[in-house]
Amino acid sequence: MRTDAAHAGAIPEALLEPALTEGRVTPGSLDDQVLAFPETKPPRQWYFGLAVTLSAMFVGLACIGYTFYKGIGAWGNTSPVFWAFDIINFVFWVGIGHAGTLISAILFLFRKRWRNAIARFAEAMTIFAVICAVIFPLIHVGRPWLAYWLFPYPNQRALWTNFRSPLLWDVFAVNTYFSVSLMFWYLGLIPDIASMRDRTTSKLRKTIYTVLAVGWRGAATHWQHYEKAYLLLAGLATGLVLSVHSVVSFDFATSVVPGWHMTIFPPYFVAGAIFAGFAMVVMVLVVVRETMQLKNLITMRHLDVMNKVILSMSCIMGYSYMMEGFTAWYSQNEFLHHGFKNIISGTYGWAGWVTISCNIFIPQILWFKKARASYFWMIFVAIGVTVGMWFERFVIIVISLHQDYLPSAWRIYKPTLTDFGILLGTFGIFFTLVLIFARVLPVIATTEVKAILPDAQPSHHGDDHHV
Amino acid sequence: MSETTLKPQASYAVLGLFDTPDALMQAIPKARAAQLGAVEAYTPYPIHGIDEALGHRKSPLGGMVLVMGVLGALTAFGFQYWISAVDYPIITGGKAANSWEAFIPIMFEVTVLFSTFTAGLGMLLLLNKLPFFGHPVLSSKAITGITRDRYALAIEAESDSFNAEAAAQALKDAGAAAVEALPAPDRSPFLTSDYILRTLGGIFVACVVAGLAIFFAIKWFPLMRPMVNMQDQPRLNAQKASAFFKDGHGMQQPVAGTVARGHLPTATGTQDASASLINPLPRTPEVFAVGKKAYHNRCEVCHGALGNGMGSLTSAYGGKPANLQSQQFRDYPDGKIYWAIVNGKNSMPSHAPYLSESERWSVVHYVRALQRAQNAKDEDLKVAP
Repeated sequence: MRTDAAHAGAIPEALLEPALTEGRVTPGSLDDQVLAFPETKPPRQWYFGLAVTLSAMFVGLACIGYTFYKGIGAWGNTSPVFWAFDIINFVFWVGIGHAGTLISAILFLFRKRWRNAIARFAEAMTIFAVICAVIFPLIHVGRPWLAYWLFPYPNQRALWTNFRSPLLWDVFAVNTYFSVSLMFWYLGLIPDIASMRDRTTSKLRKTIYTVLAVGWRGAATHWQHYEKAYLLLAGLATGLVLSVHSVVSFDFATSVVPGWHMTIFPPYFVAGAIFAGFAMVVMVLVVVRETMQLKNLITMRHLDVMNKVILSMSCIMGYSYMMEGFTAWYSQNEFLHHGFKNIISGTYGWAGWVTISCNIFIPQILWFKKARASYFWMIFVAIGVTVGMWFERFVIIVISLHQDYLPSAWRIYKPTLTDFGILLGTFGIFFTLVLIFARVLPVIATTEVKAILPDAQPSHHGDDHHV
Repeated sequence: MSETTLKPQASYAVLGLFDTPDALMQAIPKARAAQLGAVEAYTPYPIHGIDEALGHRKSPLGGMVLVMGVLGALTAFGFQYWISAVDYPIITGGKAANSWEAFIPIMFEVTVLFSTFTAGLGMLLLLNKLPFFGHPVLSSKAITGITRDRYALAIEAESDSFNAEAAAQALKDAGAAAVEALPAPDRSPFLTSDYILRTLGGIFVACVVAGLAIFFAIKWFPLMRPMVNMQDQPRLNAQKASAFFKDGHGMQQPVAGTVARGHLPTATGTQDASASLINPLPRTPEVFAVGKKAYHNRCEVCHGALGNGMGSLTSAYGGKPANLQSQQFRDYPDGKIYWAIVNGKNSMPSHAPYLSESERWSVVHYVRALQRAQNAKDEDLKVAP
């Protein structure tokens, strides 16, 4: 805080770190505000929301059950579009998760202290999104009870997995990503759960929190190792988050399908993942901020900064789309020509234009400061980006597959109701978990926010350490 | 929370509470200087500079993570190399079995996995010795403040000669707003914790429930038939009904006029008109072998093994099949015999469906051989020069 004041004359106001909280927030008031939710009865709107999301979830579970009964034939997948909604949804949900890791790990390394207030929620959304994502590889293998064959383990069949296959890299990447995200999230939660343990009066809650907090007592020696571990985990998660969607993109880029076989895919996928994830985080945070009275902690400056990230990612996506067109033209390859023409004018040309409009044109509204400060426009953009990024995966997967080298194998792909049901179901699972999380665990990392409140650090150390 | 709690009994530590991090930081050097015991701070969040003030050594976690990370990379490399190049070499994409470039993604992932678990669990289990539910601070009155907004400094007993009174006084002198003596736990703190017992009980119950669930799942699951459309294929089985065709039969008659390959009925006119047909096959042992087999299968039952019309059916049913050895048939041109095979004659049905074009002509050759064998001339007995 003092740092900002000291340099205020030299540094333009726009470059200063945003105010971290609004109004007077003390460690005690923070606890009373954030940790009180699990102890109070949820409002009616919460039950209403839960009813909606649970209904969606059960629709999805019913469709998954029907898939188990009927087989993959319950879906629209057919030759040559063997990958469709299953892989679209997998890539979509893994991508949503990336925003959480970016906020919690990469912004931590960059010492962006504003991320402390939103990191917890974003990390939780990472874990829930990855849970939604892993459903799809499991059910699309066709025989889910044999899904453990994906792992290399000594077996009586005397077979090993193929380590040259990107699909196997995916198994390792997604599993590692989930384990690391869970570890990161849980370590961050431990001190907060300890706070809840020591303030609750309910015996049941105390028992649960006591077990979950593993006896955390805030000793200085513990904090020393804890901070070191957190820093290391942030560094590891940073490399990991960049690798996960790169590996996902290898599933496509290492094949020879026109429209997939491109070197731009890994960075393009990572940018798209962060793009979609931030849109989802903005959407959820606006609701959380309004309904849970957290306006003083999740400020408009937070939303403003996140909208700027969305805008910059949108520009990267625009560049990537243009590069796809450029590659198709410059390669003088008729298959790439045809693939690109399909995106803008084929049977699925409308999907191509939905993608381009939602991901490139609509977010440009965010150049205006007023739009970045308006709920209407930021939600409009966030929904647009979510829809657009889902359709981007549809464009990549279905359009590329439905017409490749051999015209005799071309076919139009049509999804079934079961496909849509499972997609709806994952949204239900995701938001059900988000709603439950919002009521049972601290939605804001109180420990991390306490550490950046004014006067939280000793005065003779304040300036040297966190600039 | 003052002198009233200080009873003359074995103490684990004395806690002093402070309201601000500044007060805590100023008290640390004073408490350490009193040299009454080990000094430890308890705070709601990490305080900058407290490690130096308390004289902590650098956390060894970074080194541990580096070692385990390298170990993870080597493990992943060794595992993939051994599988791909030694135990189960498979050529994929035309690459050599030991080409290592494809191993990099998984090496990276396993490195991160090993490092993460070392950082997380190493910190919790090894360095911080958690979970630990029986620490005296956890049962102190001050803990509700420590995890909220208070900063505590503890002077901990290092020997039996620990002087709780002096420690409390030292903390007050250092600026503590309140002090609290923490009694030493009667037994091993680990065992006094009923939470851990409850946890173990919970794990036991969970194991029993999970075990029963797995038992019944294994018992009943194989009876279900999931994903049945892999087995129920829309296929027509021979001799089975099918709703696909109007007549409900799985097997259908061929379309009218259908002719199988090699079964063209080429002799369609009258028998006399076929007299001009010429046997296209050469007289080779192979052709005679085909003709002999076909004759045995199709002709012998009526015309007899010698072609004299004395087949086994003749005596049983009293028919009168042609005696192929008679002068009439010995004078027949090949074409007329062929016509009879294709079209049938008198009671003899057509054999076109059963004998292919070449088999019919082979039978004609064979009949000629039978006729010549039964009516051999002297020159037939001469051995070819």
